[in-house]
Parts: sequence; C-alpha cells; structure tokens
Amino acid sequence: MNTTTAIQDKARELLSGGQVTCVIGYEVGPRGRTRPAFVTRADDVARLVWNQECTHNLTTYLRDRLRPKGHGQTAEPPGRVAVVVKPCDSRAIHVLLAENQFQRDQVYLIGVACEGIRQGAGSGQVTDAWQRRCQACAERLPVVYDTLIGEPPEVGQVSDPWGADLARLEAMTPAERASFWLSQFDRCIRCYACRQACPMCNCPTCLYERDDSLWVAMRIAPDEKRAFHLGRAYHLAGRCIGCDECERVCPMNIPISLLNRKLASEMEAAFGFRAGLAPVLSPITTTLGGEEV
Amino acid sequence: MYEPKIVGFLCTWCSYSGADLAGVSRLKSPWNLRAVRVPCSGRVAPELILRAFDEGADGVLVLGCHIGECHYDTGNHRTAKRLPVLHSLMAFAGLEPERLRLDWVSASEGERFARIVNEFTQTVRALGPCTWRQRNPIPLMEPLPDTLEAEAGGQP
Amino acid sequence: MNVISRDKLAAWIDDLVQDRTVIAPRDVEGVLLYRPVHSSAEVVWDYLRPAMSAKDALFPPTERLMLIDQAGEHITLRESLPEDEQVMFGVRPCDARGLKVLDALFIEDDPPDSWYTRRREHTTLVGLACNQMGDTCFCTSMGVTPDDHRDMDVMLTEVEDGYAVQAVTPKGEALIQGLALQHRPGDPPRQVITARLLFPQAEAWPSHFNDEYWEEMAERCLSCRLCAYVCPTCRCFDVRDETLAAGNGHRQYERIRCWDSCAGEVYRKIAGGHNPRAAKGQRLRNRFFCKFYYYPQQYGPLACTGCGRCIDACPVNIDITEVMQHVSEVNP
Repeated sequence: MNTTTAIQDKARELLSGGQVTCVIGYEVGPRGRTRPAFVTRADDVARLVWNQECTHNLTTYLRDRLRPKGHGQTAEPPGRVAVVVKPCDSRAIHVLLAENQFQRDQVYLIGVACEGIRQGAGSGQVTDAWQRRCQACAERLPVVYDTLIGEPPEVGQVSDPWGADLARLEAMTPAERASFWLSQFDRCIRCYACRQACPMCNCPTCLYERDDSLWVAMRIAPDEKRAFHLGRAYHLAGRCIGCDECERVCPMNIPISLLNRKLASEMEAAFGFRAGLAPVLSPITTTLGGEEV
Repeated sequence: MYEPKIVGFLCTWCSYSGADLAGVSRLKSPWNLRAVRVPCSGRVAPELILRAFDEGADGVLVLGCHIGECHYDTGNHRTAKRLPVLHSLMAFAGLEPERLRLDWVSASEGERFARIVNEFTQTVRALGPCTWRQRNPIPLMEPLPDTLEAEAGGQP
Repeated sequence: MNVISRDKLAAWIDDLVQDRTVIAPRDVEGVLLYRPVHSSAEVVWDYLRPAMSAKDALFPPTERLMLIDQAGEHITLRESLPEDEQVMFGVRPCDARGLKVLDALFIEDDPPDSWYTRRREHTTLVGLACNQMGDTCFCTSMGVTPDDHRDMDVMLTEVEDGYAVQAVTPKGEALIQGLALQHRPGDPPRQVITARLLFPQAEAWPSHFNDEYWEEMAERCLSCRLCAYVCPTCRCFDVRDETLAAGNGHRQYERIRCWDSCAGEVYRKIAGGHNPRAAKGQRLRNRFFCKFYYYPQQYGPLACTGCGRCIDACPVNIDITEVMQHVSEVNP
C-alpha cells in the first residue's frame, strides 16, 4: 500500500471514530502545488497526499489549534488533532512538548518514513535535487509517532551541504564576515515569514516586534534587520531542529539556515546536544549540571 | 582621538561591589567603562548586548560572580552557558570576538576588577572604533536649517 | 514605430546614471529586484518580473518623515522630503498600474501624502512590455495587458534586434529627447495573452462576507506579511517615533513610517487588548475585500493588478485566483 493511501485510511479511521476533530496533512492545490490541508470530515480524506513536495513543517499549526478558544468558564477545550510528521518535523514535537506548548495526548502523530523532499517544493518550480536538509539527513524515521507509515528508506550518501559555506565564512576576517551578513540582510523586508513558518517561534509578542521598540526599532534598516535575525537564531539555539522552512519561505534567498546550523554545531560542541531527539529543554535554558562546572 | 565606549554589565552582589572596592582603594581604572548595574549577570540577555553594540558601544564587558558564589544560586550558571553561545554567533556575524568579554569578579576583588577593565579597555582601544553599527547618528551640535520652529510643547 | 538597438539603449542608461538615480531590474544574489544601477552592465534585460514591485521606489519599506530635535524645552521639527530625480527602467505594466492604484490614495485623495507625491513627481517610468505571461500572471483579468503603455511615461516593446520606443507623456518625451531612433514601418507586435479569468464584480463580494470559506481557506495561512509586501498595490503602514542620538541635554528622534500588513496578527489589535480580527479567516477576508471591494468603493481603482507575485511568494499556496473563483462561482 502506498503512503498516500495509508495516510488517507488512517485519517478516515481517526475522524470517523471521533478520535480527532482534525487531520493536518498535505494536499495538492489546483495549480499542482503541494500545500498544507486541514481535513475535518471522514468523507474528505481523499484530499490528503504524500509526495516528495511535502516540505511544510505542519507542527507549526499545533500550538494555536491546541489552545482553548475563549477565556475562563466559557472556554472551549480544543479538539484532539492528528498531524502528519516527517522525521525532522517530529523532532519539533519533542521540543514543543518539553516546553509545554501542548500535552502529548492532544496530538495523534502520523509519522511518515521519508525518502526526501525536492528543492523548490511548494512553489511552481520543483527541481530533481533533494533539499539540503535531506542531503544531510541520516535518520529517515520520525523520533516520535503514534503510527508509522512507510518502510524506512535506504539512506544513501549523507553529506554536509553547509560545510563548505561555513568553512568559507570562518576563514574570512571579521570585517569580511560583517560585510557578508550585511549584504544578505540588506534584502530582508521584515516580512517575518521565517518566524511565522517556524514551530518554535511562538512567543505571543515577538521580542523584535514590540510596540515600544524596546530591543529593536521598527525601521526596516540594516541594524534592526541584523538584530532580528541574530536574535532569532540565538533564541533557537538548542531548539531549532533543522527543517530549514525558514530559508525556504524567505522571498529574498537569505541564507538563514547558515545561522541555525552554526549554532547547532556550537551546541553540539559545547554540550553534546542535538535538539529534538528527546523531549528535553535546550541546554542554554538550564543550569549547569555537576559535570559541567 | 578615539577613546572606546565600553558598556559594562556588573552584577549588584559581586562585580559592582568589586568595582566600588576598586574605587575606594583608589585603584586606577579607565573612565571608558559605562557601568550598568544589574541584579545578577544572569539578567544579561542577548538583547541587551546586541542593543549595546547597535547603539555604538565599542566593547561590552559582562562581569558576574564566580561560579558557586551567585547570590541567586544559579543565575551565573545561565550566563556561563548563554554568553559563549552568543559570543560565537556574533563573531560569526562579523564582530571581532575581543570586543565582548565575560569574566568573574567577586566583591572582594577590587584589584582584579581594575586589572580586567584596564586590559579590556586597552584591547578595545587597539582594535579601533567598532564598525558594527550601520546607522550614523546625526551630529548633535549641527544646526538645523529650514526648520519649522515650534514653541515648547512641540506643536508643529 | 521608432526603434533603438539594445546597445544604444544601454549607452543611454550609462548616460542617465551620471546625473540621476536609475532604477532597473538587477540580480541581487539570485533575486531579481528593481534596484539602483551604476551602469547598464548591471541591468537584466530578459525576465518575467522582479520579486518585488515598483512601489518600493516611491513608497519605500522604511522612510523618515520628520527629524525632531529637543533641547530642554525647545523642540525643532524638520520635515524630510525626498528630492532626488529617478528614472525607473524596465517597469512591467502590472507594476505601473500598481502605482496608479496607489496614486488614488496618496495623491488624489485629500490631503495628499507629501512624500509619495514628491517621489512620484520626480520619477519617470520607462516601461518594458512582457513577451509572455507567466503561469501565475492574470493582469488581463484586472484591466491591464502585458504591453499596456497607458501608465508609463515611455514604453519599450521588444522587436527584432532592438526595442520600439514610444513616448506616452510629456515627461516621457522630455526624457527621450535626443535619443537616436530609427523609424520603421508598422506597429510594435501585440503580445501573447492567456485566457481571462473569471473576475467577480465588486457588488458580488458583500453577500459572501459570512461564508465559512474564509476560515477554511485561511487555516494554512502563516500570518506572515509576504503577500502585502510583494504586492504592487498594498499600502498600509505604521508610524512611530524612534530615538536617535542623545546627550548633553539634546535628544533627537525621527518619525518614521514602515510597511505593515493586515495579515499580521497584531495589525488590528487595539488598546485594551481586543483584537477584532483575531482569527486568520477574518484577516484574509479583510485582505481580499480591501482589494476588490473596500478600496474601489472608497478610491476608485481595483487594488489588484494581476501580477501574481502573491501566488508565487505565499509559502502555503494561498491563491488569490482561487478566492476570485469562489466569489464568482459559489452561491453565498
């Protein structure tokens, strides 16, 4: 049975059995582009698909959907939700659980064994190449799931697509690096698509979007844009699971994932830590353990 | 003549008292340091440091209690873990790493305080003015031609 | 028609950059944008459309409105009005129509916006007709054609070994004075036009206000602001006073404005914390109603030129043509 059919069957089972009120998965739109789908009726599951363009990290929708609607005594508890997760997405579940964004029993995880996602997925121009995160992926199975669909695919050559870029930047002088990053952020329009796409960026009021401009002014200017990107990358240290959706959604081709990869390697070097493998908090939010002093 | 502007985040219980001790003991330390007193070095969030450099600081010095001596038990643990990560990120983004320094000074270490501030000021002076900030402030004493003059209260 | 070769056109651009800002499609690290160029070598000649629209040059993402100096009790204000002459080269008809749409609000509505108006006066548009329509283009449904010259000052159309040049306005005529043009018989070729999409009339929209469709369609929306920022006609902005230098009894501030979008969650939040558009469906409904109903009712033109950027930019494929189809075809 192929993955699409298996997902549809599982969704039908969950919805008609009343186990969930919504299945968040993928569908193909009228233009042929794969996009997120929210299926609430068992007779609608035929919309759901699985293909090599399922790039979106659907866990980003969970936190808002799983909060009660309204306040106090008239608050409606949210219904249970099923979500299709790729291996990378499932790591986000662990981070969100560790941070108490929702409870484990509020989600039913439809884990999918993933052979990779194509570059250009979600847009009108999909290529044959795998996305960089997929080229680097060694774990093709989700780390947490309620049901697993698909056979673990053969993992081919695993590469480090960022190694060359990171090495090139490390070899530069500080002035050259500063100039590189300023020229990248120059194109930024503070659309916040990167932040909105990220499951871990879920502060009710973003520090860098405050009405009182406490940390960053509202200008769409070099200092402010750099502060936003560096600050956001820092807030994701030990939390970013490397889905690279931030970089995909950026309309200006800004290499955001370089910042996240750099910090991920710092976290691994300093604390032996990789985000999302278990439901634990990022090391920089906790105190020193005995062995670290 | 370039004199570096250095912002120092000093924790109330240790390093700020250490700074006081240095003053009372008449130990010479450069006036370049603008001291910002915080309850604990753990309060020094990355936003504070990014903001200091964005506002034109040439160097930022964060001084906390020695590990194990924090007034709030574990506040400086957080500093010890967070600052090096921020440091490597900012260096990656093009800040000379010598411009940001984390160190530990207790309330009784007036000499250590003076020595660290001296060292740091010299290092930052040798590096020259910091080019991190892009926005140039309008020079304050420049006269404004073609003004719409307004009375106090600011009604245009 | 009057024709000029590409080489001569490039030489003309190199001439223009000497005494004014020339903005043309440029490759900026793999992204095509309308940006100032220093020489004709930087200009990209074959393209569909830049990632951002022409509105950036007249209504920039961030702009200083005023400089404020405070010394004790004495406050001085200085308005910051743009003065530079600029020529925009290679403007697509959908983008030029976008500027006309913005004119209805910023210039023709009273009081006029000083900064936009000043820039508009100082800008000359040299348009370039499209050779083909892209997959997501639907300008023809919005009253524009790929070779539409009506909103330009000068119109260029690609012909064999060169470009046909047509002065549309007195400003355009003044700009191309002195250009060595060859006369050739005939008119510039008309461009390929794809089928027109169904376009719902303004009156069709109100009856759909309470459709469940809006909430369903918006579920995948991320509430970023991409669609508004890439759009040639979106024009909402926020105004704020930000600090500059301070010291010696002086303080300086600048009043700035910068882009904002109704798709953002906090856009409609009011003091006290209430948010009338807390749900994504409400925000997206507002966005489409503004384009096709509110703006035409208040200012005249449709606030959409069919450029298709929002369709390409949206990370989750929210598609304005699907919305138009729903309003046209589905009974409320």
